[in-house]
Amino acid sequence: MEECAEEFEPLFDYSRVQPLDVVCLDDDGSDSSPVLSPKRKKISDSEVEREEKEEKNGKVIQVVDCEGDDEEDWLPPPPKVSSDSQRLSEDSTIKELRLKKQELVSFAQSAGEVLRAVEESVKREFNASMQSSLDSVAEQPSKPSCERPKIIISIQDKDGLKQFRVYMDDKFERLFKMYAEKVKLDLQSLVFCFDGDKISPTATPDGLGMEDDDIIEVHVKSR
Amino acid sequence: MSGGIARGRLAEERKAWRKNHPHGFVAKPETGPDGSVNLMVWHCTIPGKSGTDWEGGFYPLTLHFSEDYPSKPPKCKFPQGFFHPNVYPSGTVCLSILNEDSGWRPAITVKQILVGIQDLLDQPNPADPAQTDGYQLYMQEPVEYKRRVRQQAKQYPPLV
Repeated sequence: MEECAEEFEPLFDYSRVQPLDVVCLDDDGSDSSPVLSPKRKKISDSEVEREEKEEKNGKVIQVVDCEGDDEEDWLPPPPKVSSDSQRLSEDSTIKELRLKKQELVSFAQSAGEVLRAVEESVKREFNASMQSSLDSVAEQPSKPSCERPKIIISIQDKDGLKQFRVYMDDKFERLFKMYAEKVKLDLQSLVFCFDGDKISPTATPDGLGMEDDDIIEVHVKSR
Repeated sequence: MSGGIARGRLAEERKAWRKNHPHGFVAKPETGPDGSVNLMVWHCTIPGKSGTDWEGGFYPLTLHFSEDYPSKPPKCKFPQGFFHPNVYPSGTVCLSILNEDSGWRPAITVKQILVGIQDLLDQPNPADPAQTDGYQLYMQEPVEYKRRVRQQAKQYPPLV
């Protein structure tokens, strides 16, 4: 029996390698599909590894018996055997490479997902912050159009800065009204200045040559 | 070549100012009738500090930068005849941080200059008088001095 096993080994190993190659092809095919489950593959691979080791030791001679495998499924993986034959070590190298490849594929996928998630969360945050600062302008921010560039303008009073996002070609009257509502002051009592000049409600940021983060100062009329 | 340094620095100063400056202050480079910008001359406004006799006034100040800026400080001028012990009759401000041989350092920003001058308005330096009128009233007739300061504040109302 022992001798028999020795003789058949090469043949057996060879046939063993083939289905693995098929798996490998599958891998290649599923590179782009996200339904890859590397964990499962790993298990099956380690099973195969175990089987081969067992066969190597001549303990198990059965070749096509799957039930035996099933029974052993719950067993912990065997300790690594360092005294493998040349061929086996070759096999495990290939296996290692395959595992690495799977890992990389799944890593690339998860990285892609992470990126997407980050992108979305940033978008969400951005919208949220806009809403908080824009309040009543919420009619438009959800539909950003490339043709109407926006600008961030700070309105500064004695106590500090408030930032607003407005269209470059939008008349200031809308921003002023919004601001007045926000600070609960009469619009008529407020004077808005840019670079020391009073801003006409009909002017636009574009018309005044304003840039991102430019400051508009608001003064409250004494009377 | 130093002119390149001066202009580069002034462009940076302007950029920083646009994004952050103290409330009520104005500082902008001169613009010609053709829309061209002269970075070497800045027109500024300094608001009188609230709680002082200077409150309510918005005092115009012009900064003249030389090609040697920032090695040398800019010349800072109020309108001619401006009432203050440390302002020359020509309007030029006398302040240690604006003196090349005294307190000036190239790292001092336009913002620091303007805030420094705002401080000087209500805290004249009697050790360094630049005009007789303001100095004498400040030293000898505090009540009259106060009246003149308040009167001057009304001469420079807010621009609006």
